[in-house]
Amino acid sequence: MSDSDDGFLRVSDVSKWYGDEQVLHDVSFEMSRGDVTVLIGPSGSGKSTMLRCVNRLAEAQEGSILLDGEEVLSPDLDVDDLRREVGMVFQGFNLFAHLSAVGNVALGPRRVLGLSEREARERAEAQLERVGLGDQLDSYPAELSGGQQQRVGIARALAMEPKLMLFDEPTSALDPELIGEVLEVMHGLVDEGMTMLVVTHEMSFAREVADEIVFLDDGRVVERGPPDQLFERPEKERTGRFLERIASHD
Amino acid sequence: MAGATRPTTVRERVSDADVSAGRLLLVAAGVLFWGWLLVSWVNRWLGGVVVPVGDPLVAPGLVEGALASLPALATYASDAAFVVQLTPNLAQGTWLTVVITGVSLVVGFFLAVPLAVARVYGRFSAWLSLAYTELLRGTPLLAQLFVLYYGLNLGRYVPGALSGVFPRDVVWVAILGFTLNGAAYQAEYIRGAVESVDEGQITAGRAIGLSKVESIYHVVLPQALRYAIPSWTNEFVYLIKYSSLAAFITVPELYYRADQVASETFRYTLIFVVTGAMYLALVITASKLMERVDDRVAIPGLGAARER
Repeated sequence: MSDSDDGFLRVSDVSKWYGDEQVLHDVSFEMSRGDVTVLIGPSGSGKSTMLRCVNRLAEAQEGSILLDGEEVLSPDLDVDDLRREVGMVFQGFNLFAHLSAVGNVALGPRRVLGLSEREARERAEAQLERVGLGDQLDSYPAELSGGQQQRVGIARALAMEPKLMLFDEPTSALDPELIGEVLEVMHGLVDEGMTMLVVTHEMSFAREVADEIVFLDDGRVVERGPPDQLFERPEKERTGRFLERIASHD
Repeated sequence: MAGATRPTTVRERVSDADVSAGRLLLVAAGVLFWGWLLVSWVNRWLGGVVVPVGDPLVAPGLVEGALASLPALATYASDAAFVVQLTPNLAQGTWLTVVITGVSLVVGFFLAVPLAVARVYGRFSAWLSLAYTELLRGTPLLAQLFVLYYGLNLGRYVPGALSGVFPRDVVWVAILGFTLNGAAYQAEYIRGAVESVDEGQITAGRAIGLSKVESIYHVVLPQALRYAIPSWTNEFVYLIKYSSLAAFITVPELYYRADQVASETFRYTLIFVVTGAMYLALVITASKLMERVDDRVAIPGLGAARER
């Protein structure tokens, strides 16, 4: 847990509705640079929606999200500029199906950052090495295992050199034996000091690496705190019940 | 065929089992057909370097004599000579058929892609695109050609630079008509393919900072256009045959010339069987060509659904 709150990411009273249904109720939490925050909660609790509000893939109607002092929710903000700096990893990988691993990772540097073809490819190769896929550069998504695809997904986000990484249930679509390789890459990023906001059901991972756990239920923050406190001595009964149920599934 | 991991497609299995004799026959027919056309065209452009302009490449008398000497084929000798006599005329008509189809298809494609994208991703533009498509698909193509040529008399407006490329300015009007009409049909095929691209693809594009338009251009279209190839080939094939409607606005293409000779000689069956065979040859060429393109741009795992 970071000692000082530098206000790198400050989520305050964020609310969101889909039509008449309110899916987020005044959600607040903050992160410092280098922090790992894990959002947990039952499905439908709004974790993924909250995550997507941070890079504006979902639009929050109320509240404030300050990233590095800038208001993410401002209507004047250029969302493409925002997303250039905030990487995202999807549950379903969402690799570009027509591009090789290298093509997937190079597209952003080439088309968004304006690197030359060669620079973009070099950067992509370096990022794929970083996630342990130096030998699969020219493989197409369909030729890769789920774990490999997700590592390409991570490399694709890293290639933009983001200051914040969002992970939306990165291992939920994976066969159990493939989860380890993805978590290993994520562990590596934690060690490198990457600022990460993670939605996951991998409680042991959360416990190991999180500086703070935010427990969401029904679109509300039920409880948040350091993992030891949340896992060992949850203040709210609802938290305890959720963690018990998750644990019995492990 | 790319990728060893891809399961064998029906097409591949059939071609594996293909009797090489049948294949050889097809290739030979193709070489003969296109060889004849190309030599005829070049001969005409260069003012008769092979044979005098307007003459068949092979003398009809020669063919007639050769067939007459074979007892089994002797009864067809005079018909064959008649057909050979027609060949320069047919080759010249086929040139216009090929050009009208090719130009309309290519220009129509560049109209169809934005139309399709607008339909799927636009708001107001989606309505415009829909209106355009319904209008052009919902009214007879022949009526459209009549309006363009006889109604609006667009032949008058063909710019000087374009005039003279073809024997008649009306060819440009026909190309315009087929382009506008074909674009509507192509747009429908491409729209279907665009819709079949997973939504997560565009989300992933947006997430790395591509704008919506960039995501469509760099992510959605490269996939959608690959998906579209087999159904788009239908439009290619249709257009080859629909181009015969240009005859009704006096474009001297293949059908026009066949009809002209038939009404002069009353040998309708023979002439239209031969003409039909020529359209068939063009259609087979088109579908073989697009099969090639499809294989060439194939990406492992992409579009596997359509091959199932």
